[in-house]
Amino acid sequence: MTVIKFDHVVKSFRTHEVLKEMSFEIKQDVITGIIGRNGVGKTTLMKMIVGFTEETAGRVEVFSEKPFNSLKVSANSIFVDDGMKFPDAMTLTDILKECARFYPNWDSELADRLIAYFGYHFDTRHHHLSKGKKSTFNAIIGIASRSPLTIFDEPTTGMDSAVRKDFYRALLKDYLTHPRTILLSSHHIEEIEDLLEDVLLVHKGIAHYHGSITALQEMFVTLSGKLETLTLHTEGKEVINESTTGPSIEWTLENNFTPAELSRMKADNILISAVSANDAYIMLTDQPKGGIDDVFE
Amino acid sequence: MLDTDSSSPIYVQIAKWLENEIIDGTILADQKVYSQYQLAELFNINPATAGKGLTLLLEDEIVYQKRGLGTFVSPNGRGKLLVKRKEETLHHLINELLTEAELLGVNDQSLLAMIDTERRRKRRI
Repeated sequence: MTVIKFDHVVKSFRTHEVLKEMSFEIKQDVITGIIGRNGVGKTTLMKMIVGFTEETAGRVEVFSEKPFNSLKVSANSIFVDDGMKFPDAMTLTDILKECARFYPNWDSELADRLIAYFGYHFDTRHHHLSKGKKSTFNAIIGIASRSPLTIFDEPTTGMDSAVRKDFYRALLKDYLTHPRTILLSSHHIEEIEDLLEDVLLVHKGIAHYHGSITALQEMFVTLSGKLETLTLHTEGKEVINESTTGPSIEWTLENNFTPAELSRMKADNILISAVSANDAYIMLTDQPKGGIDDVFE
Repeated sequence: MLDTDSSSPIYVQIAKWLENEIIDGTILADQKVYSQYQLAELFNINPATAGKGLTLLLEDEIVYQKRGLGTFVSPNGRGKLLVKRKEETLHHLINELLTEAELLGVNDQSLLAMIDTERRRKRRI
């Protein structure tokens, strides 16, 4: 079943068009990573999904409804980020009590155990928490709510590395016993890639890539060797990235070689290596203007 | 455990890990193998990715599925794996041998002669 459907969606702020033509569908119970460079509209996209902002043009459908001003979408989704606001007068216990009243699938026992595990005092106030503790608390609410549509926007901001690991493990374990549709944005793909089933790459206002994480991990290969042999074996193929380390040249190409071609290359002393999801992502979003070095030319 | 630096994708590593469990007799013929959810929990990965690892073994008929019961090791699963591994390893070694021979300018005839000599020497020991 499709939970989220975008059909030629446009979102502009005044004259600035952030999302130009977003079209994609997200199926039920899939964990999707939302990735993209800073300022491409990841947060805007997620806020449109939960109905915080309205699309400028096109069609957004969540649980078969337009999410803006939809009670059905609000009741069945949660949006977690570091800007979550709670009344200053409420203690953590008060907040948890209200969450239990609001979210129908809320698991009080799980919430209490996570709160105890991460070392909170129940009578602390939310606005007195440190940055990392605030993020962790918000993430706990995101997990314990068990919302059919759970969205985390950069959930690990401020968390130390041990807490990050614990959070992702907790999320996976709870997902295995209570599958639900999860969107997760992060700048660190290597940190979340094992957790993901799919990736939605936002670039230049469109869904630049939407597919399985394993397909992204296998999209490119890097070949290194001598210029003549590389040229010989890659005739008619496009070299996407080129770099030199030491005496050999490294070329990155689309991974569409047959096993026979690969073994012939190996026989010709070409070193073949995989391109990580993170490097593949950088290659897909590389700016044609060149690197940071060009600024100082 | 899994080698996260390895160049092969995680689901291939999962398949390899299961193959090793079958080869060394940890999981016997007609015994149940881990479900994709157990694998996901065990290796801290998405269950869909773990499922892809299981699919590789299903395609090679190393394991079979019983509807509603799970995945089990095929009666001849271990035997198939042994044949597959042997072929892969030998092919790999022969390839390396040929590459080295080519680099050194050793022709096929002298290569075969070398293999023959080596075999005879081994028999004598």
